[in-house]
Amino acid sequence: MFHQTRLKSFAVTAVIAGLSLYAIFGGFFPREIVVEIALLAILAISLDFVAGYGGMVSLCHGAIYGIGAYAYAGMTAIAGFDAVTGTIAALLATALFGLFVGAVTANISGIFFIMATLAFGQMAYVVIFEWKALGGDDGLSGVSRYDLSAIGLDLDDSLQFALFCLALVLVVYAVAAFALRSSFGRTLSGIHSNENRMRALGLSAWKHKAVAFSFSSVLAGVAGILAAQHTMFVSPELLVWTVSGEVLIVVILGGLGTLAGPIVGAALLVFLKHEVSAYTEHWHLIIGLFLIAAVMAGGRGVYGQAEHMLRGRIRRPADA
Amino acid sequence: MVASADFWLTQFLNGLQLSMLLFLLSIGLTIIFGLMHFVNLAHGALYMVGAYAGVSVAASLGNYWAALLAAPLAVMLVGIVLYALVIRRMRRSGPMNQVLVTFGLIFVIVDLVRIVWGDIALGMEQPAILSGPAEMFGVVYPAYRLFIIGVGFVVMVALSLVLSRTQIGAMVRAGVENDAMASCLGINVERLFFVVFCVGCALAGLAGAIAAPAFSATPSMATDILIPTLIVVVIGGLGSLRGAIAGSLIVGFIQTFGAVVLPGLASVLVYVLLATILIFRPVGLLPARS
Repeated sequence: MFHQTRLKSFAVTAVIAGLSLYAIFGGFFPREIVVEIALLAILAISLDFVAGYGGMVSLCHGAIYGIGAYAYAGMTAIAGFDAVTGTIAALLATALFGLFVGAVTANISGIFFIMATLAFGQMAYVVIFEWKALGGDDGLSGVSRYDLSAIGLDLDDSLQFALFCLALVLVVYAVAAFALRSSFGRTLSGIHSNENRMRALGLSAWKHKAVAFSFSSVLAGVAGILAAQHTMFVSPELLVWTVSGEVLIVVILGGLGTLAGPIVGAALLVFLKHEVSAYTEHWHLIIGLFLIAAVMAGGRGVYGQAEHMLRGRIRRPADA
Repeated sequence: MVASADFWLTQFLNGLQLSMLLFLLSIGLTIIFGLMHFVNLAHGALYMVGAYAGVSVAASLGNYWAALLAAPLAVMLVGIVLYALVIRRMRRSGPMNQVLVTFGLIFVIVDLVRIVWGDIALGMEQPAILSGPAEMFGVVYPAYRLFIIGVGFVVMVALSLVLSRTQIGAMVRAGVENDAMASCLGINVERLFFVVFCVGCALAGLAGAIAAPAFSATPSMATDILIPTLIVVVIGGLGSLRGAIAGSLIVGFIQTFGAVVLPGLASVLVYVLLATILIFRPVGLLPARS
């Protein structure tokens, strides 16, 4: 069950405020890092929504992210639609893909669910890779950022774009938190803790899970739209399964089933990556050791562990 | 596509050779999976270690056969270290944590290999006796690739005999079928798991060592082979030898013939098959547990 505790509010505010200051006082490179963190954080929140609260550990969120990016890029850069239509199309595309994957995999559990989502993600990857109209393996360039000059913003400025991405992290977090506090989210947690009981209460569990997966996919689509605008270029690399793996690592490092943890995890992973790679090219080694240590130490993640110690209550993240 | 019978026979042998490599990897993984419900994603990384160990031994001793013997032993040693440090402690945690820890192990092992052997692809000499082409039914085919098929086939037959005819085979089958009951009957399932784990590692090392002369050793082989192997395990059904055989043949042939017949969509075919099987028959085609 999700509660917007004071600790969660504090952690989210502190990370976002810290990153904003880093972007404001840093130069171009820190701003790029902030954008990278923001995209990963949105993606990780969307994964935590289904994995942490619905028990659906998806290995296709990278693919969904890519679908969002490609739908936006295709609609605006090739079909010539405006940004609003492109955004709606991208969100719709991710929602439909998520609904489809969620519906057909709803009765599969454990490692089989992971494999099934992997299969659908890879299918999307291959289709995009081979789709010549979308640039195939060359990718697609010419995506432009939102024109927000009406409210005095210029997103082509690196600082304003970084702050815009951070603001969207807050929006996505708030939307996910709102959904989890609604009866919809409570039902999802109920299915996660005991699916048979919810069925016995008369709930059609697979429909609920499919809708939850679709909702999570829309959030991942938001990250995809931002990713397309960030580099103004999309490529099939966005959809590779290792992207999904990285997002999963972020969620675990931060804390599965905490919603605030993914934001902490994203900041941690990206900083770690850049700090370590300044000294050695073998940053995967450090990340790998970090991941092993985090899981073997109880699997609560950095934020989850802090929450656990401060609350002094035993509440292990549910095994998925 | 107009092609002669020779062409299709060559493709058939290519498919068979890929299937045998997949079999050597997936059999260890599936039995570990079925016997102990342990998900070891680092299995592909062990295959890579086997390839590099084979390259080094062959280069220093100048003898291919020594490498073929040493690589499985070296990988088994790595496996024992992993077992002692990580895997034994993760036995009772859920599949999710096992997936994550072994995913972390892939990162660690791949980077250690890159530190020791560098980032470039390393080749390995084929033994002189197998380096030339061989002729079969009028088709010229590299003798070494026939050797890969032969090794896979021998291992397949040997494992079938061990599993069906020996006492330890019966114990493994009992453990896969019902591990709690097997424990009650006095089988030390944990020790059995350890033995099976070691054999699985050795087979992964063997697969790496016989693959190295044909495809050379690269750091990316750890993750490249992982997904097809997992697909074989899931398609075939956990813990079953027959499932691993069927799964490797299906995946090997779909990948090979798909690349010839439907070049663009070859890789998607395997995933379509995987998704279909998971949706309609989630236990796989030939599961060990009835």
